[in-house]
Amino acid sequence: MQGRMNLQRGIYFELLQAWTRRIIQARYQQSLLGGLWAIIQPGAQALMFSIVFTQAIRVDTGNIPYLLFSYVAMVPWSFFAGSLTDMVGSQVDNLNLVTKIYFPREILPMAGLLARLLDFAIAMGLFVLLALFFHLPLFSLAWIYLPVILTIQVMLALGIGLIGAALNVFYRDIKHLLALGLQLWLYASPVIYPVSVVPERLRAFYFLNPMAGIIESYRAVLLNGNAPEPYLILAGLIALGTLLVGYWFFKRVEFQFADVI
Amino acid sequence: MMPLIQARAISKRYKIGQNFPTLRSALSSFRKPQPDKYHWAVKDVSFELHAGDAMGIIGPNGAGKTTILKILSHVVRPTHGDLKINGRFSALIELGAGFHQDLTGRENIFLNGAILGMSRAEIKARFDQIVDFAGIGEYLDTPVKRYSSGMYARLGFAVAAHVDPQVLLVDEVLAVGDYAFQMKCYARMDQLRARGTALIFVSHNFEAVRRVCNRGLVMYRGEPIYQGSASEAVVAYSTAIRQSARAQHSALPTEDGLSQQVMTFDAEIQNVKLLDAAGQTISAIQSGAPAIIAIEACFHKNVSQPVFSLNIRTPDGRLVYDTTTRWLDVPTPDFTAHERCRVDFAIQMPLLDGEYQIDVDIADAGFSHYYDRLESALGFWVKGDTRAKGLVDLNAQATITRLAPEGK
Repeated sequence: MQGRMNLQRGIYFELLQAWTRRIIQARYQQSLLGGLWAIIQPGAQALMFSIVFTQAIRVDTGNIPYLLFSYVAMVPWSFFAGSLTDMVGSQVDNLNLVTKIYFPREILPMAGLLARLLDFAIAMGLFVLLALFFHLPLFSLAWIYLPVILTIQVMLALGIGLIGAALNVFYRDIKHLLALGLQLWLYASPVIYPVSVVPERLRAFYFLNPMAGIIESYRAVLLNGNAPEPYLILAGLIALGTLLVGYWFFKRVEFQFADVI
Repeated sequence: MMPLIQARAISKRYKIGQNFPTLRSALSSFRKPQPDKYHWAVKDVSFELHAGDAMGIIGPNGAGKTTILKILSHVVRPTHGDLKINGRFSALIELGAGFHQDLTGRENIFLNGAILGMSRAEIKARFDQIVDFAGIGEYLDTPVKRYSSGMYARLGFAVAAHVDPQVLLVDEVLAVGDYAFQMKCYARMDQLRARGTALIFVSHNFEAVRRVCNRGLVMYRGEPIYQGSASEAVVAYSTAIRQSARAQHSALPTEDGLSQQVMTFDAEIQNVKLLDAAGQTISAIQSGAPAIIAIEACFHKNVSQPVFSLNIRTPDGRLVYDTTTRWLDVPTPDFTAHERCRVDFAIQMPLLDGEYQIDVDIADAGFSHYYDRLESALGFWVKGDTRAKGLVDLNAQATITRLAPEGK
């Protein structure tokens, strides 16, 4: 019995791989620019905010050029927002599969997340080029924190994504709610502005938003070569809690998906 | 031996009404809770299947056939009942479910294989077999959206049939393929059964059920009304449909046309007889003798140019002969309500020794539905003097000629 369980698990791991590959292949099929879109999307946003916050309203980002300052945050933010959107729609978008074939349903959101991870890696590649262009010191020892920050972000996204994907099966409003929520969340996180603009007395409160801690940690590591501040621990705990609750909730209602979808 | 599938009193209930409530209605229902209405899609179905068994599930639309498959494949959970499946199963509820339109045939084979539970190594090992079975060789690297529906279906079945499952669940899927491909699918199912796969086969097609299955389960409005051999089940189903049509005297919901076996009962088959040359009713006939199969029918409504058809088959369901007045180029007149008629099919009984059965039906001019259909309307025996075996007497004449020895 144990042996069969392991076999099953191995097959589901292969399905996760296959489904991730399918999403990536399908995304860039019949597209001229293909993987370049992974860069264009956060790049264009960072560029747009650069124009606004350097020409119209001046934002102080120290000795870091604003473009680099916002790009290094926009890339993980795009990964977060994009993966959440894909995960929340994952069951409903694959209705044909969910109502006809059994497999652990969490494979769909997980594959959505993994496929976005590729975009994230590509966009991070451009960051390296930008940093070279702006003569920023690269490859500090602090980069060993990157996998930790990334893991925390993935846990957070997966937790929310699992809850959202399940709820979206029952209530299609969730998709719209998510789009709205992500817009507000962007402004509640230090993506286009530095944390220094947040009043001191609100800081502790501000970092209850785990994305604030995550984004600030990326900046600390990538721009300044520093270790993340302790608020990353808070973000990590919140992310872990979210993932546990999300997975528990998802597995609890999963069996109803094919009935209500 | 342990059965591969054990289903005990499986039932599935669905809530009637909105499929998925919006947030607003969910919130408002807190204020005024409404009693829920339920519908039993499947009620109290029990069976056991052993290795090599093939069970056909037949019944009209909405009888719960697909719901049973979905329960068996773990897609939905039964409301009550116990289900045990021992061994790897592969469910084919729709051909090519999980195919991605933009991906090529090759990519979809790997994707679909993974969805059906095969590892990449297993798929690789069977890749050539799958491609060969589907017959899509030169289109392997074309996106499947450019495939014809036949190619699409062939590829779908090919992947699912090569999972090598211990339990294979097949929904009404072979209707799309051409004749040659259907034969290939049946052969593959036979092969899997011979290797010990238990098969569940849902179909509207009696012929297919008799061809593929040894057992039959008849579903009607969610309830199992008959379990037995496949041929008996087909007869039981046909009888149930007739009774229900007679009781309601109105059309059953018709969706997919003739293949749905829906009867409107605007015309009714009253009598089917086998007559000898003298016009006497007989139940056994000499091989080669002239005979008439006479069908008497009455009409309950005005019916325009109905088509009468005649099937002869062996008791195990093999089709021997199938014809219709349309194919025989016999024009049929319009009939008005309360009229009666008799149709004679005259034949020189060319069959060999054995037992045969006759099915007859009356269909509308466009073949869109049946007026009435009678399975195993009549059984008869053929007696022959010839010692040849088989179905048809080809009247072979044997001659022997001496030839000169080879090489001088």
